[in-house]
Amino acid sequence: MARAGGITNAVNVGIAVQADWENREFISHISLNVRRLFEFLLQFEATTKSKLASLNEKLDTLERRLELLEVQVGTASANPSLFST
Amino acid sequence: MDESIELKNLRPQLYSAAEYCEKSYLHNEQKQMVLDNLKDYAVRALVNAVDHLGTVAYKLTDLLEQQTLEVSTIELKASCLNQKLLTCQTYTDKEGIRQQQLLAFIPRHHKHYILPNSVSKKVHFSPQVQTDPRQTYLHAKARLQPSDTPASKTLSWHLSSETKSTLKGTSQTLASNEISKPPASASEVFQLLENGDNAREKSSAALFPASNALVPSLGITHRELEGSKPLTAFRSFDNPKRDIIRAPVRSKSVLSSFFVKQKQMKLKAGYVA
Repeated sequence: MARAGGITNAVNVGIAVQADWENREFISHISLNVRRLFEFLLQFEATTKSKLASLNEKLDTLERRLELLEVQVGTASANPSLFST
Repeated sequence: MDESIELKNLRPQLYSAAEYCEKSYLHNEQKQMVLDNLKDYAVRALVNAVDHLGTVAYKLTDLLEQQTLEVSTIELKASCLNQKLLTCQTYTDKEGIRQQQLLAFIPRHHKHYILPNSVSKKVHFSPQVQTDPRQTYLHAKARLQPSDTPASKTLSWHLSSETKSTLKGTSQTLASNEISKPPASASEVFQLLENGDNAREKSSAALFPASNALVPSLGITHRELEGSKPLTAFRSFDNPKRDIIRAPVRSKSVLSSFFVKQKQMKLKAGYVA
């Protein structure tokens, strides 16, 4: 009886260890995917930052060019006789 | 926006789910079932978070591309406007230069070869014309300077200076000796007629001042080309298509003889003095 009980205990321990290994494997999978998600977020942040910086620079340049054009058009419209034939 | 709001709300949901699973595992007897449910919930939460993050990233990237495209379009339109303004500016500059060029007088010939114009646009070298040589010379000088060329370097100046010097040196002594024999080719008074339309023709007309004072001393009584072939203007060299109308041989010989005589008179004035 005691021998059968010992065998049963060993089996239970084996099952418990196996279950523990499965749980750990599951946890490792989850943590790996979470890390991959975190890396994706970092890469996405860097890309978006560079795109926004380039867009900001383009907008600044465009703003200055439009200001220059506005002044030139104002100067040209002030003297319409220059364009009369 | 909805995805970002849901993503923000997902964090407290995960915290609340984790607390519930811990309490149920501690107080519930069927621990395996609680563990299995927890695993499923964790997987689904992770998938949900990945889905939300992917959607937000895709929409943000699409929005940035649209904005970049709009900015590029606006840049293109601004460059188009800039080109139009530059064209207008170039046109006004060219028009201004053209108008200035039209107003400016550009002499076509070297001032050494430009003769002054007379009042009547005719050059008389006749003894019958009682004119003051100084006045004619001054008139010629005034006409000769449309572009402020100094009269000291023009042909008329040279002629008048030589004439004056010869007149002063030899008053009447030379008249009866050498010059009483008019050359055959210079037996006429020539007139240089010109057309009054062209400025070039005006500049090329010849004017000989001091004709009255010179004639009695030299004894030249020339008459030439009255109603005959006139000496028209010497055309410019710029237009090769036009026929270059040169002076007839007679006038050239007359001029050459005239200059030769002046040189002889100079020499003799030196001997006399």
